[in-house]
Amino acid sequence: MTNSEFQAVVLAAGRGTRLPEVLGDAPKCLLPVGPFPLLWYPLNMLQQHNFSEVIVVVLEQEKLEIQLALENTPLKLKVDYATIPSDSDFGTADSLRYIYDKIKSDFLVVSCDIVSNVSLYPLINKFREHDAALALLLFKSGFESDVVMPGPKTKHKPERDVIGVHSATQRLAFLTAASDCEDTLNIQRHLLKNKGQLDVYSRLLDAHIYVLKKWVINYLHRKENISTFKGEFLPHLIKKQHAKRAAKAIQDTTSEVGLVTKLEDNVLHYVPHTALDQKITQTSLFNQSLSHVPYHGDVVRCYAVQAPKDAIGVRVNSTLSFLAINRKLASIWNEMCGEAHPLIAAGALVKSTQTKDIIAADNAKLSEKTSLNYSVFGPNCVINPKNIVSNSLVMSNAIVEEGCNIDNCIVGHRAHVKKGSVLKNCIIGPNYVVDEGTKSQAMHLSNADQYMEIDIQ
Amino acid sequence: MAQFEKEIVQAVLIADNNVWNFKPLSDEGSTALLPLVNVSMLDYALIALNRSGVEEVFVYASLYLQEIRDHIKEGIATYASWSFKMTVHMIGGEGCRCFGDAMRDLDAKALIRRNFILMGADTVTNADLRPVLEQHKRMAKFDRGTAATLVLKECAINVRTGNELLIAVDKQNSRLHYHQRLRMNHKEPRYQIPLDIFLGNSCTALHHNLLDPQIAIGSPSMLSLFSDNFDFQTRDDFVRGLLINEELLDSRIYVALLPATQYAHKVNNWPAYQLVSRDIINRWAYPLVPDMGVLKLQQQYVFHKDNIYKSLEAHVSKVALRENVVIHAGSHVEAGTVIRDTVIGENCRIGRHCQLSNVFLMANVTIQDNCRLEHCVVGDRAVIEAECDVSAGCVVGANCVLPRKTKLAKTLVTSTPNTQRKTEQEQDYETVELEAIGPQAYIVSDITTGDPDDSEGEELLPQQTLCIPKMGDLMLPLDEISNFSDLSDISDDDEGSRAVTPLPDDTNIFLSEVIDSLSRGFRERSNPDFLILEINSSRYAYNMSLKEVNFNVVKAVFGMQHIVEPANNNVLAAIGAAFKQLGPVVSNYIKSEEAMLDCLKALEDVYEENPFVREKISQIVHYLYDKDFVSEDAIHAWYCQLGGEEHFQLRQSLVKLVDWLNQSSEEDDNDET
Repeated sequence: MTNSEFQAVVLAAGRGTRLPEVLGDAPKCLLPVGPFPLLWYPLNMLQQHNFSEVIVVVLEQEKLEIQLALENTPLKLKVDYATIPSDSDFGTADSLRYIYDKIKSDFLVVSCDIVSNVSLYPLINKFREHDAALALLLFKSGFESDVVMPGPKTKHKPERDVIGVHSATQRLAFLTAASDCEDTLNIQRHLLKNKGQLDVYSRLLDAHIYVLKKWVINYLHRKENISTFKGEFLPHLIKKQHAKRAAKAIQDTTSEVGLVTKLEDNVLHYVPHTALDQKITQTSLFNQSLSHVPYHGDVVRCYAVQAPKDAIGVRVNSTLSFLAINRKLASIWNEMCGEAHPLIAAGALVKSTQTKDIIAADNAKLSEKTSLNYSVFGPNCVINPKNIVSNSLVMSNAIVEEGCNIDNCIVGHRAHVKKGSVLKNCIIGPNYVVDEGTKSQAMHLSNADQYMEIDIQ
Repeated sequence: MAQFEKEIVQAVLIADNNVWNFKPLSDEGSTALLPLVNVSMLDYALIALNRSGVEEVFVYASLYLQEIRDHIKEGIATYASWSFKMTVHMIGGEGCRCFGDAMRDLDAKALIRRNFILMGADTVTNADLRPVLEQHKRMAKFDRGTAATLVLKECAINVRTGNELLIAVDKQNSRLHYHQRLRMNHKEPRYQIPLDIFLGNSCTALHHNLLDPQIAIGSPSMLSLFSDNFDFQTRDDFVRGLLINEELLDSRIYVALLPATQYAHKVNNWPAYQLVSRDIINRWAYPLVPDMGVLKLQQQYVFHKDNIYKSLEAHVSKVALRENVVIHAGSHVEAGTVIRDTVIGENCRIGRHCQLSNVFLMANVTIQDNCRLEHCVVGDRAVIEAECDVSAGCVVGANCVLPRKTKLAKTLVTSTPNTQRKTEQEQDYETVELEAIGPQAYIVSDITTGDPDDSEGEELLPQQTLCIPKMGDLMLPLDEISNFSDLSDISDDDEGSRAVTPLPDDTNIFLSEVIDSLSRGFRERSNPDFLILEINSSRYAYNMSLKEVNFNVVKAVFGMQHIVEPANNNVLAAIGAAFKQLGPVVSNYIKSEEAMLDCLKALEDVYEENPFVREKISQIVHYLYDKDFVSEDAIHAWYCQLGGEEHFQLRQSLVKLVDWLNQSSEEDDNDET
């Protein structure tokens, strides 16, 4: 344990319900993003912040596959796989509760679908500075705004959060999904009471990177009816910021976490509140205002830190963002990972001379006399001569025959595009064979019925 | 040489905007001329405009036009400081009934040619409005639809004077998206803000600690907007109308905040009057402070420590002046008197051994020996005879004479025996005789004095009893407030937490429907028969038994919003009003002895839920008995049923009533025999 202050948990047991078209039968966390599987990005981020050990929560049946995939990547982290039963219907909070006894210190929870180059130190420092219960990171959204969603035209409505942050202190006042509200947003008076001004953001993206106190998992462990972390537990915890210690509890100065005799539901029973803490508060010179106790006596404190404007952050949780990150990855690769990792894998066979911002994985065969732009080519895929591929994603083992023009498309695993096809804004499902000379636009071509695709086991 | 002609800065001052709140002094003269720390409010406003570089002012008044005109003439004649470099025009007329009319009149007269400063004559500010005007002009260049820029000031959250706002502004361009005036009497538990505001802007700032000093920068289009929308009566109507019909009117409102060092406040009622007086004396409004001679350009007071301002021509010997006291020339204070936080006008006489704290005396007031005055205002030439006790927000009108040993609290006193008021049904005036406490002192009941101009009352329930806000202790201890709200927070929190919200069963839906019906019926004064019909149809829809209906109807009456949150916490008045209107509905259901028991059972439930009812339970039961809703036997039966620990409190509160019932019935028995 070289980094004993924080443990890190990566939640990688998601089933990818929002990107059924591209998933095939692979786990969500192994979706190819450039040269690496999706899961590599959060792990790499943690590694760059000097974490040496990470707990990765995976589904039991997918563990081997994930393990194998990660061994092929240049990661030095020690990964501790925590498996959850495949047949269970665990939410994120359930997963955390399941690995409860592995958490020994304050910890980070990171979702497996975050691709980012942001530095976590400002976030962690905010957490340390205010002895916070929770600190979370917010990104500017709109990474995928200029990408057209391939496939049939649907009304794509991105999920949006309404986030209230006290501008002067960055205290988090509320966080709700816009879809949870009706026409009006109800704001309790006490949210505004001690805060003259509250900034409400609607276009920020919750990065799903959370820094949490150890006692929070104890509390979560107790709250068995909460199943999702973001949707239920987070708003709950944020609301509990305003809970006040009952008068008699103040005298009870010796109670400590773990030693609480009666496990009441009250969140304050979980907050460590030793005599020493009180002494520190009393003698501390630090204060925000002259007439109030620090933090207005709030014991639970949640903070939101905004990532710097130039930081890259995207959550790969929908087909659109998946395509967007793949298309743009080559242009931002240097900012993301530096020169450390080559974009054209050593085993890739690139004979094409007209390429711009492409990524090719192992054994990808990109023939001569092709024009390839802003695209990603998965392992073992074959691009025959006389092809134009731009803004597209060709996944593993796919074959593109001669004379095709593919623009803004996703070509699925083992799909086969035959001669002379012209495809624009299309999604080609796994194993699908596109007939010779097909001309399609904004189509979803796949073998299975639409219904079968959303098979989430 | 038109290009060398300097752009003149114009301003409009609206006088007499809050007449009702200053009763009874507003009946005797213009509120704009009401002295605030011995300088009339209009002068403060004119000085503020002059300091902001305004060159032409239009003062708009309706009721006391001549008085204000005389005052301005006198000001110019005596070289008041605002008369330099600034021309003041008086306009107005009898036909002008509200702010909106004034704006329409200004538009018709075409006096305003450019962006102008719009202010109430009751605003006190030391702010320099030039930067705000510049900001407005910049914005108008950028956005042709800029109609106005509201100037707001940060304030403390704990004190409410009716000027506080909750607004939502776009953080990038400070455009106003939401505007809500905070209520004075009780604090809103939650605010409901349309979600679209937040979704439409990437970052919206919610300001909760802002005060509206009634200063705005208007574009010329603001006046024509008033002309086009003849239903705009107040400035709030204008703001609301523009926010709702933003696209239709193609106009937008922006917001500017004053820097922390500048002071601005509107004096719209007595608590605000007290607050602003204190701020002026404490020099927050510097240089608008008594000893600066801002109005007359001559030193009127000598400034002593503890904010005591004493005129050299005042006779104050052997008097304890504690702090924050202003004494004008020609006043005499006799020995042994203690004065704090008080303003004394010209030529006042105060007797021996008086106690004055937070008192505002106008000119020529006489206070005789051994009086105690606290939190009150005394008008010109009033006389308070010896050993009076006047406190808690009393206002004594001009020329009143309070007889010896009068004790008054929270009352308004006038010297004329009758007042006029508008009756609710007919539009003509009716003369009301007032209760007399002396030959020249009559009590004005502020509850009967309907406020005809109160268009802000929309947020209040129509039936909620209105009354004039009174002075009182401004500084509630901070801890007390925060503790109180913390307690409520916790309960809020528990309510809000998951799994507590029960699924609405039929009974609850029925109850809420009955509450809706009754509240609407109460508000619209609909025929009780229709209400009964409505309740009966709900009853069959939800398959309620008669017993349940009886129970729920009573519960619904007490569940109406204005009883749950009564005005001024006066639950009895609220209940009285409710039963007056809805009595026939209740008595339709509560007929038999058994039904009465249901009724009392419902009351028992309400007792648990509503703290106001808890306090007054015995009076409420007595009221129901008086009005024959419940019989004596029913009360006895109910009282006997109340057993056990949980009803101990309730029994306790009812003991007296039951005893009294017993006695009276025994007397009846005796009479019969």
